[in-house]
Amino acid sequence: MITYLLRHRAIGLFLFIGLLTTVVSWINPAFLSAQNLRDIAVQAAPICIISCGVMLVLVAGEIDISVGSMMGVLAASMGIMVSASRAQLPPHVAIALTLLIGIGMGLFNGLLVAYAGVPSIIVTLGMLTALRGLTEIIMNGAWITDLPEEIRFLGTGTILSVPLSLWTTAGVLAMTIWLIHRTPIGRRIYATGSNPQAAQLAGLSIKSIKLFVFAWTGLLTAVATLVSVPQLSVVDSGIGVGTELLVVTCVVVGGTSVNGGVGTLSGVLCGVALMTMISTVLIFLKLGEHATYWSRAIQGLFILGAILADHWISNHKK
Amino acid sequence: MKAIFLRTLSLPETFLSCLIITLFALISQLDPSFLQWEVQRSLSSHIWELAIIAIPMTLIILTAGIDLSVGSIMSLSAITAGMLFQAGSSMPLACGAALLTGTLGGFLNGFFIARMRVHPLIITLATMATYRGIAEGISQAKPVSGFPAGFTRLGQDEWLNLPFAAWVFFIIFVSVFWVIHRRALGLHVYAIGNNDTASRFSGIHVDRILIGLYTFSGFASALAALLFVARRNTAKADVGMGIELGVITAVVIGGVSIFGGRGTLVGTCLGLLLIHETREFVSWHWNRDEFILIVLGLLLIVSVVFQKLLRHKQNSS
Amino acid sequence: MKKSNPRKMHHRFVVLSLLAGIAFIFTACSPAPPSDASSTQLVSKDNNKKKITICLIPKKKGLPYFTSCAKGAEEAAMELGNVELIYDGPTDGSPEKQASMIEQYTLKGVDVIAVSPNDPNVVAPALRKARARGIHVLSWDADAIQDSRDYFVNQATAEAIAHGMVNTMVKDLGGPETRADVAIVTAYLTAANQNVWIEHMKTHIDQQYPNLNLVAIKPSDEDQKLAFKVTQDLMKAYPDIKGFFGISSVSFPGAAEAVKQAGKTGQVMVTGLATPNSMRSYVEGGTVKSVVLWNTAELGYLTIKVGEALATGKLKQGDTSFDAGKLGKKKIAGDQVLLGDILVFTKENIHQYDF
Repeated sequence: MITYLLRHRAIGLFLFIGLLTTVVSWINPAFLSAQNLRDIAVQAAPICIISCGVMLVLVAGEIDISVGSMMGVLAASMGIMVSASRAQLPPHVAIALTLLIGIGMGLFNGLLVAYAGVPSIIVTLGMLTALRGLTEIIMNGAWITDLPEEIRFLGTGTILSVPLSLWTTAGVLAMTIWLIHRTPIGRRIYATGSNPQAAQLAGLSIKSIKLFVFAWTGLLTAVATLVSVPQLSVVDSGIGVGTELLVVTCVVVGGTSVNGGVGTLSGVLCGVALMTMISTVLIFLKLGEHATYWSRAIQGLFILGAILADHWISNHKK
Repeated sequence: MKAIFLRTLSLPETFLSCLIITLFALISQLDPSFLQWEVQRSLSSHIWELAIIAIPMTLIILTAGIDLSVGSIMSLSAITAGMLFQAGSSMPLACGAALLTGTLGGFLNGFFIARMRVHPLIITLATMATYRGIAEGISQAKPVSGFPAGFTRLGQDEWLNLPFAAWVFFIIFVSVFWVIHRRALGLHVYAIGNNDTASRFSGIHVDRILIGLYTFSGFASALAALLFVARRNTAKADVGMGIELGVITAVVIGGVSIFGGRGTLVGTCLGLLLIHETREFVSWHWNRDEFILIVLGLLLIVSVVFQKLLRHKQNSS
Repeated sequence: MKKSNPRKMHHRFVVLSLLAGIAFIFTACSPAPPSDASSTQLVSKDNNKKKITICLIPKKKGLPYFTSCAKGAEEAAMELGNVELIYDGPTDGSPEKQASMIEQYTLKGVDVIAVSPNDPNVVAPALRKARARGIHVLSWDADAIQDSRDYFVNQATAEAIAHGMVNTMVKDLGGPETRADVAIVTAYLTAANQNVWIEHMKTHIDQQYPNLNLVAIKPSDEDQKLAFKVTQDLMKAYPDIKGFFGISSVSFPGAAEAVKQAGKTGQVMVTGLATPNSMRSYVEGGTVKSVVLWNTAELGYLTIKVGEALATGKLKQGDTSFDAGKLGKKKIAGDQVLLGDILVFTKENIHQYDF
């Protein structure tokens, strides 16, 4: 029974999250307050949105580590477009353009991977570096401090007292589920990742599928930027630094294989939940000042533990 | 004859050499003062640590692996040396312990990869966070400074006109080069990268070799950490932050295939030379740090695209 | 990541995507050509005078704080006429990169290096090497190790900054009698400057304000989002927290936004170091009562003035005052040129400042 549960990554992770929540809320009941759960969900929203894209990239047998710098460029260009002291574009135009830039960068990654045959880790590593430099150049040493109210609403507004970012996340999740289960594209992505040769022989266009997953990730990164950056009043040049590692960690902890073909949305969701709650948990445990310096090590051990437990179980299954 | 000529022409090393020559030609037009030996020697001081780590990284990538934890191993080793020194131990002992820590960190990576069959990207992503976390924890993020002059001289003095670290690099390079080209081990490394399963069936000790390579990577990172600490006279938990991307970029620009099985140590050296000179020159000539990121990112992508095109030409002719 | 099939290449697409990339980069670069703007190579008309090259190195390029310092520096260079100003620093704020930049400028043989060290220990060997080569070394904004520089253009010592922040917080909370829990949101745990401030803040609180209780110090890794999240979590985990110190220009707005969104404006105080522009909305909205800083443009201006005076021999050891042009006479205490007092921006005066 237990091995059955643990065999399915999502269930194992879910139980682990439950255990962690129980322990923390036993020590500090404030952890379970509605406000805190809502805050955690809002924090997790952008990571969750991007992870939906990166998961499909991994399933297709590629990887995307450029999303952090993409967010930087997107935030900077969005800020400049809407800022009252810069371009002053109407908010809906700026939103549309931001989404287009996101798709554009994703397509650029995808073209190089699919049609020029450059390994995705290299393309996206190059983009990670180059786009960070580009962000600095776009910002030119000044931050954007005057986002208009319409844009701030994307990050701080609520509909039926649920934050907009959560509605967006729900929408993206629904679309991803639909994409995976109800459209031929979903099946093709999995087929491409698990056996590219066979997929090719079966007449699938591997190239267009790869192009699609990168463009999709670019679009989702733009969506995540739009709903998360306006939570803050200042757009700085460091937005998104390190997001790529967090997203890849979430996706991988959620059981997605870096060899392609394997990955479930439920697993990824649990991965995102675990990774975003760890640091909150550490604060709620009130471990004292010395423990602050150990928090990165504790987070690392959590990741290591999740990965090793999974491998141990799957090795024993055989 | 023509075939050999074409083959040489399409080698990544040839392509890189051409790029480097072009770069130097460009520099001599724009700013010849950059090419003085004195300038070049001084600017080289901070490339050697990266170069030392690039040797094991080349071998690891040749086996279709990757090691993202090298920067964190550097930080953990530096902190080990620093904390022991602060606690009153002698410097050689502290250095020994640091090397041991780094080697152990690398061994753990190798063990998880070879024995538990975890993908190297995943496991080193996890140990990257863990090792640096431990370094932050034991040092409480405080720096250790004021190392004895005998130790800091290792990082600042020069032997025969080159920094000490350069000689460390040359020694490691020559010995690894010899092993790779004169011993069966070299063939085995390439074989694992080309086909892991087939190598296992043909009796190659794949696990042992992988563990050995990651352990070597840990050792080299620790060595680089000590050289860094000696050069800057400071040990702190942020040592080596982000160095893994620099090392991987150099190796990949050097024509080593990220899928394993193809590439050479010489290529890595050329890759190192190319990005080092590019980075330093952009900074030297334009004084704009943000350009460097763009130039390096594009250089990585463009050079890999071109190498791919050249290889394709060779295959089709 | 599997091997892609060795199939026929689609050259068209390769060329297209490369062109697209290059076009992308060029369009992005065009508003800021490399020859002018922030690299600020100023050429004077008067060629008889010897040119003095001064490198102004910030902790992190791209921060508005340092950009506004550079503006003041530019003004001074323009005014002096014989100064060529180079403004460059690491965009990622890495101390190691800063050290290698210093080494580069040493080799180039510039006249003055003015650096705001990210980590005094790491840049010290490079600065000593520069001094051995006869280059005048200044530290500005933050001090370097004493024997590695000639003068420190001091807008505020680490101690004064720390005390300033604690005193402001105490005042905002309603005086030293108020009992309150406070927390610090810092940059990186390893950030050298911030750690020195934290030490001074701790001792100052211990000695002067026994009613202030520092419950947590959390890093924000120079990520506004993380600063926001950490502040949010701290407010819930420690409901008695009455004050936050945001001690980097990224963690301060992040912390203020968290307090504002939690609806605790007026109940939880936030203070720290940031440029007035990035905090204006919070100060006007009442979330932040006071922002601690100094006049950054004047700091940049003074640094260049001192650099020039040092290089031309106008400034000699033992001088006790320095004529800083439009700033008037500035005091010299030992090897420190003092800019003057810390500024505290409040609702009343923040509209006078634009940087």
